[in-house]
Amino acid sequence: MGAVGGFFERNGLLLGLYLLFGVGFWILVLIVLPQLAMLDLSFRHNLPPSLVGGPDDVYTLENYRHFLVGNPGNPDRLFLFGWDTGIPFNTIDISVFFRTILAALAVTLFDLLLCYPLAYYLGQSNIGGFGRIFLLLLVIPYWVNEILRAFAFRILFGNSGILNFLLLNLGIVDQPADFIRADVALYAGLGYAYILLMIFPIYNAIESLDRNQIEAARDLGSPWWRIHWRVVIPFAKPGIVSGCTMVFMLTAGALAAPQILGGPSSLWFTQIIYQWFNTGQNWARGSAYAVVLLFACVGLVLLLMRLFKVKMGEIGK
Amino acid sequence: MTGNPLLRLMFGLYLLIFFTYLLSPLVLMGITAFNASAFPKAAPWDCFTFEWFGVLADDSRIVDSIANSFVVGGFTVLLSMALGLAGALVLTQIWPRLRATYYTVVIAPILIPGVVLGISTLVFWGRLNSYLGLADDSLLRNGIFLTVLGQSTFIAAYCMLVFIARLQRFDPGLTEAALDLGATHTQAFRKVLLPFLKPAFVSAAVIAFLASFENYNTTTFTFGTYPTLTIELSQKVRYGIDPSISALAVIIVGLTVLAALVNEAHKRRQAIRAGLRVADVMPPARLPRFLAGNPAAIVLVLLTLGLVATAVYAQTYSPAACKFEVLEQKRLEAEARRQKMLEDLERRRGEAASEAPAAGATGSQNPNAGAFGGVFNPNNLGGEKTAPTPAEEAPSPFGGVFAPENLKSGEQQ
Repeated sequence: MGAVGGFFERNGLLLGLYLLFGVGFWILVLIVLPQLAMLDLSFRHNLPPSLVGGPDDVYTLENYRHFLVGNPGNPDRLFLFGWDTGIPFNTIDISVFFRTILAALAVTLFDLLLCYPLAYYLGQSNIGGFGRIFLLLLVIPYWVNEILRAFAFRILFGNSGILNFLLLNLGIVDQPADFIRADVALYAGLGYAYILLMIFPIYNAIESLDRNQIEAARDLGSPWWRIHWRVVIPFAKPGIVSGCTMVFMLTAGALAAPQILGGPSSLWFTQIIYQWFNTGQNWARGSAYAVVLLFACVGLVLLLMRLFKVKMGEIGK
Repeated sequence: MTGNPLLRLMFGLYLLIFFTYLLSPLVLMGITAFNASAFPKAAPWDCFTFEWFGVLADDSRIVDSIANSFVVGGFTVLLSMALGLAGALVLTQIWPRLRATYYTVVIAPILIPGVVLGISTLVFWGRLNSYLGLADDSLLRNGIFLTVLGQSTFIAAYCMLVFIARLQRFDPGLTEAALDLGATHTQAFRKVLLPFLKPAFVSAAVIAFLASFENYNTTTFTFGTYPTLTIELSQKVRYGIDPSISALAVIIVGLTVLAALVNEAHKRRQAIRAGLRVADVMPPARLPRFLAGNPAAIVLVLLTLGLVATAVYAQTYSPAACKFEVLEQKRLEAEARRQKMLEDLERRRGEAASEAPAAGATGSQNPNAGAFGGVFNPNNLGGEKTAPTPAEEAPSPFGGVFAPENLKSGEQQ
């Protein structure tokens, strides 16, 4: 165990113990064991506390089966290209799941398009008076509570909200438009929530880009869009992927915005998990759904990172 | 940006849209905090009032939850900073082959959805609790304990990133020199490394506290019987909203701006103390010198103007009288509307009676005319639709007395 000895030699006993215990507690007790406990619970039946650990407490795939096929007697059937396979199919949960993933991807793309120009501007101009005001204005909404941000959008988009007030008074519509039911408010609120997490990684990446590279490309006759396509974007790729990863994960895992801004007939996947835990009182099934969400998100992110050839170490910088 | 005027114009437009999207929800929410209307709305404007701040202060659940938030935030800051610092120091020493794996593991909590962290914390400690045979109200199932641990799982990673950024500029030679000169490891750590990390401690603490204070996804599974402010707010927002929530938002935004200004002023003073000339710190701009490149001063001036205007307004103005006026006006409007409806009804009855003898003649042209005053006449309905907001504005001139909107507005008033 020369390495461990070297570790204590380098840090001293007290500091060495602090580092070992700190990192050990964090990784084992806070990160790994809870995830394993959740994974374990997701493979068990929902039992009353008195039966836990008893002979009935056996492993089962029931919770995952429920996600795919629903309750026994579920009349929905899986259709493949219009052909009835006869396999029962949990239409509600699965469609909510895919809707959540696709909507989160769309929100991420929207944020990227919205934030890239400003991040480029901030990264390439000297941050003078205006730049600093911009930064301040960017940070303030992020410091406001997540619930309050969603609440602000409800005021904005509600039936008697300011937007409907304007539309009615300008004579554009004659009935208040139901932005909540149409999920406009939800998507606007979700896109809003994580703007900062998209801007800052891109800004950090672009800031370190040597201006001379852009000048050189311009001198050689490249139009502005090709400068971005060939010089800036490849250079800022780690920042862009980092921002997109964070926005996607946070959007797919968002709970407050869908609860407050979601229409009455639309659900977010996290809401289904929440229901299993609270009103459903079925922690095992909630855990299984949480595992599904976790693996889907992580898998998708890893896939995209491989696709765009970015390493994990570059995330979060 | 390039010199292309079209591009510049488009970029200006883009900035306008961007910051409208970014700020208008907050500004509008702030306005609703001062509107007397019981439902938070910025328009139509009823009355200027401070009463929602009073309502907020009287809400004992909100006040209690703020206390919970501070307790949770305090413990989370301590635990996250301790773990984050250890994580950052280990990263500088770990074998290069393990580094990528280690970094992935400790950075993962940032990317794991918050609900998953909350669930896993709840499940793990609950099972440990029953495994150890402890009672249901033991420490391991305490809401504050669980919330602190759940939040620290990912907030420690934020702190670690802050410490890593600072450590990258640390010269390990300094620690070696201290050790060579006879310091113990603990002394070198305390006297050399910790002072160097001091600025990182401050920013890590601020980030950790803010992240803890506003966390919802993790806390909503772990809070037990100690709801934090965010939890309490979400309950309030989901089961009916009133402008006292906007009042709270105004306070939070105000504190945020204040903190940002203090931070800005502090940075400036430090830069000047570090030997930079004032002109270097404040870039030249076309604003008056006091405001030159100084966002803090600009915001301060705006705030002062706003405060003065508010004070003057409050002096010459009584919210109670205004509210009474608005109520009175609404009552009068409703009265007028009811009167008009009654008149219309009377008139139509009379018309119907006089038309009755000629019903055979007119029947073919207008089969709907009758005791119902032509409300089923399709033309009438069409006319109804073009009238602006029949429910709230002037009653329909088309006399559609039985149109559902009219009835509803009559009942509400």
